[in-house]
Amino acid sequence: MDLIISLFSGAIVYAVSVMYAGIGETFTERAGIMNLGVEGIMLMGAVSGYIAAVHTQNLFLSFLVVLLTGALLGLVFAFLTVTLQSDQTVCGMAMLVFGTGLSGFIGKGVAGVAANLKFGTIKLPLLSQIPVLGEIFFQQNLLVYAMYFIVPISTFYIYKTRYGLKLRALGENPAVLDAAGENVFAMRYGYVIFGCMMISISGACVSLANTNFWSSGMTAGKGWIAFALVAFSSWNPVILTAGALLFGFISCLGSNLQIYLPQVPTEIYSMLPYIATVVAFILSTGNFRKKHTAEPAALAKPYDRESR
Amino acid sequence: MKKKLLSLLLVVAMTGALVAGCGSSGSGSTDDKDDSSSAAGETKAVEDLIIGEIQYSVVEDGGWGQAMHEGMLQACENLGIDTSTNLLTMEEISEEDTALVESTVEELVDNGADIIFGCSAGYSTILAEMQEEYPDVVFAQQSNDVYENIIEFQIRGYEGEFLAGYMCALMNEGSNELGFCASMDEASVRTALNSFALGAKYANPDATVQVLWADSWYDLDIESQNAKTLIDNGIKYMGMEASSPAVPQTCEENGAYCVGYNIDMKDSAPGAVMTSFMWNWVPIFEDIMTKTADGTIDISADYYEGGDCAKLADFNEDLVPEDIQAKVNELKEKISSGEVVVYSGELKDDQGNVLVEEGETMSDEDILAQDFFVDNVIGGKK
Amino acid sequence: MSVMNRKFRFEKRDRQSVLRVVITSLIFTALAFVFCGIVIAAVGFNPLEVYGKMLTKVFLSKKGIEKMIAASLPLMFCGLGVALTFKMNLNNIGAEGQYAIGVIAGGAFVLFGPEIEGPFGILIVALLSFAGGAFWALLCAIPKALWDVNESITTLMLNYIALIILSYLCLGPWKMEGQNVGQTERIPKGLELSDLGNTGISVGLIWGILIAVLIFLAYKYTTDGYQLSVIRYSPSAAKYAGINMKKNILLAMGLSGGLAGLAGFVQYAGVSHRIMEGMPNNAGYTAIVIAYLSRLNPLVVVVVSILFAGLQNSSATVQVMGVPTQIATMIQGTVMLFVIAGDFFQRYKLIVNKEVDA
Repeated sequence: MDLIISLFSGAIVYAVSVMYAGIGETFTERAGIMNLGVEGIMLMGAVSGYIAAVHTQNLFLSFLVVLLTGALLGLVFAFLTVTLQSDQTVCGMAMLVFGTGLSGFIGKGVAGVAANLKFGTIKLPLLSQIPVLGEIFFQQNLLVYAMYFIVPISTFYIYKTRYGLKLRALGENPAVLDAAGENVFAMRYGYVIFGCMMISISGACVSLANTNFWSSGMTAGKGWIAFALVAFSSWNPVILTAGALLFGFISCLGSNLQIYLPQVPTEIYSMLPYIATVVAFILSTGNFRKKHTAEPAALAKPYDRESR
Repeated sequence: MKKKLLSLLLVVAMTGALVAGCGSSGSGSTDDKDDSSSAAGETKAVEDLIIGEIQYSVVEDGGWGQAMHEGMLQACENLGIDTSTNLLTMEEISEEDTALVESTVEELVDNGADIIFGCSAGYSTILAEMQEEYPDVVFAQQSNDVYENIIEFQIRGYEGEFLAGYMCALMNEGSNELGFCASMDEASVRTALNSFALGAKYANPDATVQVLWADSWYDLDIESQNAKTLIDNGIKYMGMEASSPAVPQTCEENGAYCVGYNIDMKDSAPGAVMTSFMWNWVPIFEDIMTKTADGTIDISADYYEGGDCAKLADFNEDLVPEDIQAKVNELKEKISSGEVVVYSGELKDDQGNVLVEEGETMSDEDILAQDFFVDNVIGGKK
Repeated sequence: MSVMNRKFRFEKRDRQSVLRVVITSLIFTALAFVFCGIVIAAVGFNPLEVYGKMLTKVFLSKKGIEKMIAASLPLMFCGLGVALTFKMNLNNIGAEGQYAIGVIAGGAFVLFGPEIEGPFGILIVALLSFAGGAFWALLCAIPKALWDVNESITTLMLNYIALIILSYLCLGPWKMEGQNVGQTERIPKGLELSDLGNTGISVGLIWGILIAVLIFLAYKYTTDGYQLSVIRYSPSAAKYAGINMKKNILLAMGLSGGLAGLAGFVQYAGVSHRIMEGMPNNAGYTAIVIAYLSRLNPLVVVVVSILFAGLQNSSATVQVMGVPTQIATMIQGTVMLFVIAGDFFQRYKLIVNKEVDA
């Protein structure tokens, strides 16, 4: 039983740290903009939050700084992709390189400095007493609890509200929205900025929640995983959750299997999450029976009023 | 027809180039080499030395690079070398990027570097080749003794890790099981793990060390998950070989304890880090610098230092009782005096083969290139 | 139609000229350097001095140019491969992994194969590296062709797997005796790519240029190549024209992966002379940027990858002056952002104060 609790709570911690970025990216891509620079923006979020934590010793302020950093980067990215209609793949790569370089640079001063300020574990009264489930779900940090609400809210938003309908149209056929008098550019700006703020929070999960320090390049590929999970989930927050949990679960499992199945080379366990993701991805999105693809039709295509 | 002709032409051209290119192999560079002056023999005031330092990561990496850089700064300070002008630190020079490493060395030489320190083992092959081009420069490389034309230096890290394992086993009263979080399966990592296990065994003959591998040099999630898994399997004290404070912080959160690695990690997890294994490169750097200055340097030299070079950080007084501190210090003296030898017989590996016969000790070469796991390690690679 | 109806507005240009592309790219690169100059000045260095040194040491000195070209080869091959897939709207983000598998396939022969040396041996190793990379790419191309599975995700995931395999081999069974680090023995002299004269640049450069020319000509003069090159601009038209998408996906991905595999080959046979853990060293990702900045034109890829390698090498020059290493990365990112922004002015022209009343 301890093993199960350990596996699942570990999976949740891992999953949440990529899900903020994943859900942010889901909204961005639903709006028709593909942001490949997730990793760079995460690093910026991680470093800005940590710098603020060291200097202010105030978690709330640090979190605001994280959001602000994300918003600023989002603004730049939106300007490039929406206003200037530049190629989104290369803009994303540029954000990646730029964010990696800049975060390392501004983080020099706090590398190796202990902030001792983080989103610590909060045991929810009553709920955390529930056997097994309580230990898995209700002995976590604040960012995890927030995620319990974000998933259903964002799902509801996308599929059940008027705004969600517009959002989906934005990624499928922006020209129709434009013809209906909606401001396509403003909406895309909004979703890109929102997405980057969420990605930035993922960075904060790394530097201010799961671990509590800063070192250059510390996200070590998490941004890419988040990016991959979005397409994996068919742009659906619920499936995204499942995918992130699966990935987290398998990596936690690997570390347990090292104890229980020592005959197998450990490298196999390290590869397992990636192999599982690829296989699950092929099985879930493969067009075996000519079904409709969930990919927003206008994804990564700049909207240009004149060529509508 | 035109198309076919063209493609035919291209194929011919390509094959031609291929054969021509491969045929003329071995036309190595014929730069003007001047062997009349060599590094040794020239003298220079030590504070005028210009030092080049090549680092794989940034120097504030919270691990290996940082330990190396701090040693460099300390050594320079002790010798009166102005680090703001005379220490040229080159960060983020990938070992895999041969062209970049070569450019870096050339840049350092152009800036008058007298000594170039390669601070990560992967540079050795390139530095050994570059030395032939720049015989006036002293090349010093953190690595095993492989090349004759560059200085290689290592620390007997196993002495410190032995103490760490010993301490953990003493702390771990009422249980025989210890843990270890390792990064990649490499000789230096095996050394840390094996000596930790031997230290534990020295304190408690029944002690075992369960190792978990991250299979990555840097992955915070897996490092913390491995620590968590060990704790969930009932292990309370563990050693580690990793460059981030992820393991200590996981221990702190889950009520377990560990020994930090590379640098003093106490600040990042004051409630879990009992002490840290630290690399102290200062004596080695100082020696190389002084000898280069007075012209007595031997470029084929090989440093392999123990004692204070492989020490534990100050104990965390809140976690380690005084009697245990005293015992660890006592063992340290015994190692220094040679009374206790870490790799001495009878030593068996985890397959049951005898590595060292009773009464004998292992050679430095074998210690450096460890390809075994000692018998109380559980989970060693096959 | 105008975007804005104020004092100035943007008007879409009717056609794009090559000259304009070149000029705007250059202008915006210059602007990027001005921007970075401000950052460098803010950190307390003289930007002119820094740039001057970069220019003289890396881009204008004989040694600098040699090193720059030597470092550009893996970027060039990966870039050529990536450009090939992007040309038909396939996002191959997996050059990194294809590179690694190419290294492994070629390396297996070098280390354990029969002792064939000289041109024939080199050809075998090159073909094996090509095949390795192509195999890894096809693992993603086949699901894409058959079931329309998004290739950017699968190629990305396979990168991680390939790198784990490579590091396992280099630290484990393939490791050089007595050495601690993840490197193999030096490859036999007879299997090394020789240098061009005494420059330190391997003949891989000639291979790269030839392949670039070959791709360029194929786009222009062969039916298959022409098909590949138009798919990007109108996939639907391509379908109407009866282009076999499945075949083209497999072809483009296979070639692209193969080229990434060859990148591994030129690196270990021509530069590093041994196989190392983590060898691709992000070349596969940088290649994406290079491919785009080159507008997917194979000939331009050659030039851009050389310049990019120069920029990477200049981090050494800059650091010696005391400028932090991250500045070099930042310059790269900034150049990219500015050149991308500059693209806008290739597509639009600015018209000031010209009243239009409909």
